[in-house]
Amino acid sequence: MYMYLPIALTSANYLVVVGLGLLVGLLSGLFGVGGGFLMTPLLMMIGIPPTIAAATDANQIVAASASGTYAHWRLGNVDYKMGIYLLIGGFVGGAFGVQIIKALRATGGADFLIKITYVVMLGAVGAFMFFESLNAMRKSKNKPVAETGEVAQVEKRTGFFASLPMQTYFEKSGVTHSALVPVALGVFVGVLAAIMGVGGGFLMVPVMIYMLRMPMHVVVGTSLFQIMFTCIEVTFLQSYSNHTVDFLLAILLLVGSVFGAQIGTIIGKKLHGDQLKILLAIIVLGVTVKIVLELVMEPSILLAMKGGH
Amino acid sequence: MRNKNTARLTAILLLLCLSLTASPAISAITCQVSPKQIDINLTYHGATLTVTGESAPGDDLVIRIGNKAAPAHYKYIGKAGGIFWMKKGNITFKNVPGVYILASSGKLESILDPEAMKANLLGYAAIKATAEIEEGNPGLSKNEARWKNEFIRFKEKQNLYTIHPGTVTIQPGQTNTYRVEVPWPFQAPPGTYSIEAMAIRNGKVAERARTDFTVARTGMVAKLTDLAFNKPALYGIMAVVIAIIAGFAVGMIFKKGGGAH
Repeated sequence: MYMYLPIALTSANYLVVVGLGLLVGLLSGLFGVGGGFLMTPLLMMIGIPPTIAAATDANQIVAASASGTYAHWRLGNVDYKMGIYLLIGGFVGGAFGVQIIKALRATGGADFLIKITYVVMLGAVGAFMFFESLNAMRKSKNKPVAETGEVAQVEKRTGFFASLPMQTYFEKSGVTHSALVPVALGVFVGVLAAIMGVGGGFLMVPVMIYMLRMPMHVVVGTSLFQIMFTCIEVTFLQSYSNHTVDFLLAILLLVGSVFGAQIGTIIGKKLHGDQLKILLAIIVLGVTVKIVLELVMEPSILLAMKGGH
Repeated sequence: MRNKNTARLTAILLLLCLSLTASPAISAITCQVSPKQIDINLTYHGATLTVTGESAPGDDLVIRIGNKAAPAHYKYIGKAGGIFWMKKGNITFKNVPGVYILASSGKLESILDPEAMKANLLGYAAIKATAEIEEGNPGLSKNEARWKNEFIRFKEKQNLYTIHPGTVTIQPGQTNTYRVEVPWPFQAPPGTYSIEAMAIRNGKVAERARTDFTVARTGMVAKLTDLAFNKPALYGIMAVVIAIIAGFAVGMIFKKGGGAH
């Protein structure tokens, strides 16, 4: 029942680890998020050191997002053009965010900023999605014919975004934007993701829904496509520079997560876009509450291993 | 006549010397451990160490298992901004063993004098007495006792510090034989560890015997560790490629089954 994890230097029940992979993979397939914001704390709860948990999580997200991207690609749900623009921005923002963290670590203010960013971003995104989806669900009850997820596509494009140069049509999403918009949003998410030490799926998904006005089913596939590349980069760099990827742990997690991602995709097809959004909002808010409680309640032991957030 | 007396005296002195060297106080205690090597393989989840040996009749026994004292580096958690609990800085404990396991034939406080406990690093109070908090952080050294307590609690939580009083069983005889089975935690890192058997007489450590054992990675665990630390680029590429293949392969399996349609 137990497997020794050579880099984490610990032994874990492999059924528990596969189960965690299945759970987070399910979320990945359902919502198009990598699940890093959930998996890292879960791994720490079963005794995996924080740095190993975060890096290994990126490795398993490669498998889960590859599985999810494949499933969504077959369903025609991946906007590659948009994905690549976001990816370019994400890489630039990620590199910039890492430099910010380095500078802050030198001054000693990094941990505080990381925690606060986590709480504010998760809380804001979760609350916004929750109330927005709730409103949309109420409206769709009154007008059952309206496709609330697609309304954005026919909205009149006015204002700042429409005045930007390099306007381009994203066929798969059915939206027109300046190429600068997804790149800039990619940079923004990349900076925050690097500061928070996560892949950024839970930030990228709302950005695509509410700012890029992409339909929900394309958002999930495109987000998974973008996350796969981000996590490939993170896995390689963490293995190469910090030796913090536990390959055996990643294998156990990905056994669960690749199946979870497929099951999530199937369930996702049966749920309405707003139902998906409200479920994700509840999970994000739940994680926010957990982090706030950890911050304000005195821990049982006032020492921690070096490394990690 | 004088020669006879001298010979008798020499014989008596020789016998006296022999009886002294043969006395239990010098050579009675022995110590063996099984296994001599603990293999960390894929299914490793800790082990059981069996320590056996002989000791003089009437002696109590303490078995100490561990490694050499070395500095231990941690982050300490404190309140920031008066509201949030978070990691605030570094703290280093010096002169502390990484692993510390004690087993004894009775309660430590009832078989040992306080001075003997402290002098032989027996019990948590002795560890706290010899441990030092690295200088350079006046806020921490003001509250030394509290941080040393936290250190012991942290090690106990990791299963790296454990005390098992009354677990050493003694079989009486002309020379006593003893035996104890000690759980070895999987959290302990690979390395060489020492076992010290101490015979306790009148509250003091009267005799000692030592042996070593090793904890080593073997098979796939050893190969993966070697790859991760000595060929990290290859390890990283392997981790990424296998993850992508696994992801796409499962995607295809689901496609064949028609699950996603």
